[in-house]
Amino acid sequence: MKKLLVLMLGLMIGFSASAQSLPNVKVEAQDGSTFSTSELVDGTPMIISFWMTTCKPCIAELNTINDYLYEWLEEVDMKVVAVSVDDSRTLTRARGMAQGQGWDDFVCLYDKNQDFKRAMNVTSTPWVFVVDGEGNIVYSHSGYTPGSEQELFEKIKQL
Amino acid sequence: MKKFLLLLGVALCVTLGANEASAQIKAGKGQVSIALESNNIYYVRDKKMVEIGLEKPTERTRGEFGSNDYLKVDYTQGRFSAGVQVDGYLPGLYGFDIYTKQIHQSKLTAFFSKYVQWEDENWGVRLGDIYDQFGNGLIFRSYEDRALAFNNSLAGARAFYNFNNMVNVKVLAGLPRLYDSRLKNPVWGADLSLSISDMAGWSDGLISIEGSYVGRYQKDAHIKFPVIEGEDLEVSPQGIPGDVLNMVSGRANFEYKGFSFRGEYVAKLNDDVYNPAFDSSKGNVINIDLGYSYKRFSVSATFRRQENMTVFSDIRQVGAIGTGNGNALNYIPLLTRQHTYSLANLNPYMGASTHTGGEIGGQIDVYYSLRNPKVRGKYWNFHANFSMFNTIDHYNKLYNTQAEGRNAWIDFNFDVERQWNKSLKTTFFYSFQRWDQALAKIDDPHSHYCRSHIFVADVTYKINKKHSLRFEAQYLTSEDYEGDWVAATVEYNFAPKFSFYVSDMWNCEKMRDGIYGNYYITNPDTQEGDHHLLHYYQVGASFTHDFLRVQLSYGRNRAGYVCSGGSCRYQPAYTGANLAFTLSF
Repeated sequence: MKKLLVLMLGLMIGFSASAQSLPNVKVEAQDGSTFSTSELVDGTPMIISFWMTTCKPCIAELNTINDYLYEWLEEVDMKVVAVSVDDSRTLTRARGMAQGQGWDDFVCLYDKNQDFKRAMNVTSTPWVFVVDGEGNIVYSHSGYTPGSEQELFEKIKQL
Repeated sequence: MKKFLLLLGVALCVTLGANEASAQIKAGKGQVSIALESNNIYYVRDKKMVEIGLEKPTERTRGEFGSNDYLKVDYTQGRFSAGVQVDGYLPGLYGFDIYTKQIHQSKLTAFFSKYVQWEDENWGVRLGDIYDQFGNGLIFRSYEDRALAFNNSLAGARAFYNFNNMVNVKVLAGLPRLYDSRLKNPVWGADLSLSISDMAGWSDGLISIEGSYVGRYQKDAHIKFPVIEGEDLEVSPQGIPGDVLNMVSGRANFEYKGFSFRGEYVAKLNDDVYNPAFDSSKGNVINIDLGYSYKRFSVSATFRRQENMTVFSDIRQVGAIGTGNGNALNYIPLLTRQHTYSLANLNPYMGASTHTGGEIGGQIDVYYSLRNPKVRGKYWNFHANFSMFNTIDHYNKLYNTQAEGRNAWIDFNFDVERQWNKSLKTTFFYSFQRWDQALAKIDDPHSHYCRSHIFVADVTYKINKKHSLRFEAQYLTSEDYEGDWVAATVEYNFAPKFSFYVSDMWNCEKMRDGIYGNYYITNPDTQEGDHHLLHYYQVGASFTHDFLRVQLSYGRNRAGYVCSGGSCRYQPAYTGANLAFTLSF
């Protein structure tokens, strides 16, 4: 364990910066059709947020982003992608929730086999990523504290 | 303690270093990504808990430190990817199945898994550890759940082919994982999906039909159960259960203008009997999901009937390891709402099928958001949820009794969230729960219902763009369970990096010496007694910076069920310090 952590430290200090790119994984769209995550890359910067129905901070974060979205869109071109990692047990509930919380302006995706979650190394929710128009991941953040959405917007503005 | 302090030190170094380090790694033309998750608890002997018998001193004789760790490294280059994962239980955290398993074996356990994968637009091959599911997972699902510390991935091969979105074929085969070991029982399966709407060129909605088959081979699967008389009980009346188990699934999906229907019927054709009380050689499940949504209103409902459909990766190890959650080949989760407020989760529904072989019931959710679409930052969100589950009629072979199906669980939940302005948000939550306390006694013909009402008020106030305060008050009232409970939490957030909280939970019932709540101490000199409240307190803080998250907390934890994804494990009471961190880049 100790060796592992030392190795991790070494890795972090030793490598230079360059952007990770968005993996291409198949998920479901709001209407149940298959959606390839590569379709998200269309030149528009985006916030990708991983959420699930039993995660209260996730829902709080997405609702807050939804509140600010129109304000932000006045300044920058962007989109918000809400990826539910609910499995088949709560998938129907997740779809209903996305609709019932008024997330009409989000791209809602459903990752019921958690392939996208695994590919993005998301170990807990909420977990957000800021991705530029070319599909490069420029920022990620796990956990939500009210106000941390401002940092996402700052990162989007820098793109 | 030393280990814990060392970890704390390392976590601090990483935290400080995180400001300097940059988070991405390129290797040649491809890229490497690394994720580490570490969950550590240093257990403290809690005199009060030992004194009143809530904490048994014998239960943690194997050291006072536990750590569940996961390190995952992936390499991706275009359509090719490969990776390894190491799961370390050093030793496993108290209360997890893996901890129970480690009592009988080595204290430290590490398990390696790996994969290589090529995924083209329309076809793909993966060798190594496979995570997949067919349909709702009712006959097959391999996945990882770190909150319950199990992973039943298949080590083997998988291939899929997609023809113009009209036809999807998937085949797989491999050996399932059981906690920290690999079983020698091969599992294989195939899945076919036909999109009728794509074939007919209909783009307004979706119609698809799907089917799957799953098989499992286990040498000498047949089990004999010793009974009281000393004779072995042969329980295979449905013909000879072979060493091969077969399961099939048929599904139909339909979506059109906000309306959705998903139906699945699965059958277990032949298996051996794992519980002498009932015959589980054949089984079936019918599952129907219905949904309707219009603008900001939605209704979704699930109906499910299951009979003898619990299927194990290794039928000879049923009941051998804790809850046995990790010894499942299929996935039939509990469908009741999984609560996030602690008092609503004191006594979650645990399912009726364990005792009776079957269950019938369903649940319904209604969501509505009342808002002016042009005005953001002011809205009402309403959510109501109802669920009900009954046992099915069943014959108990051990006691030679026939039992009628009866109600096992009902709950009704309602919550309303109000965003008043950009600073203030309030949530009110109410839950009514009723369950049959006598259900676990399979031969008890009389129901014994317990009821509880839970009320929660949750207020978040944003002081300015960075500072916010959250207050949560919970109250549970019950006349026939453990009496009344109270819980409260205060949280202060300094966005985006820091968060601090303090919480407490206690039982108000002074008259009862409950096993979960209060206690009575008699003074040996005066022989006078005094009631004390037992507080389940917690203090904690978290720090987040880009790819790093560190959480540190200390407190007393009540015994109870920890649920994740519709499965639960029993967590015995403990007091301790918890350090958790995740790193991902």
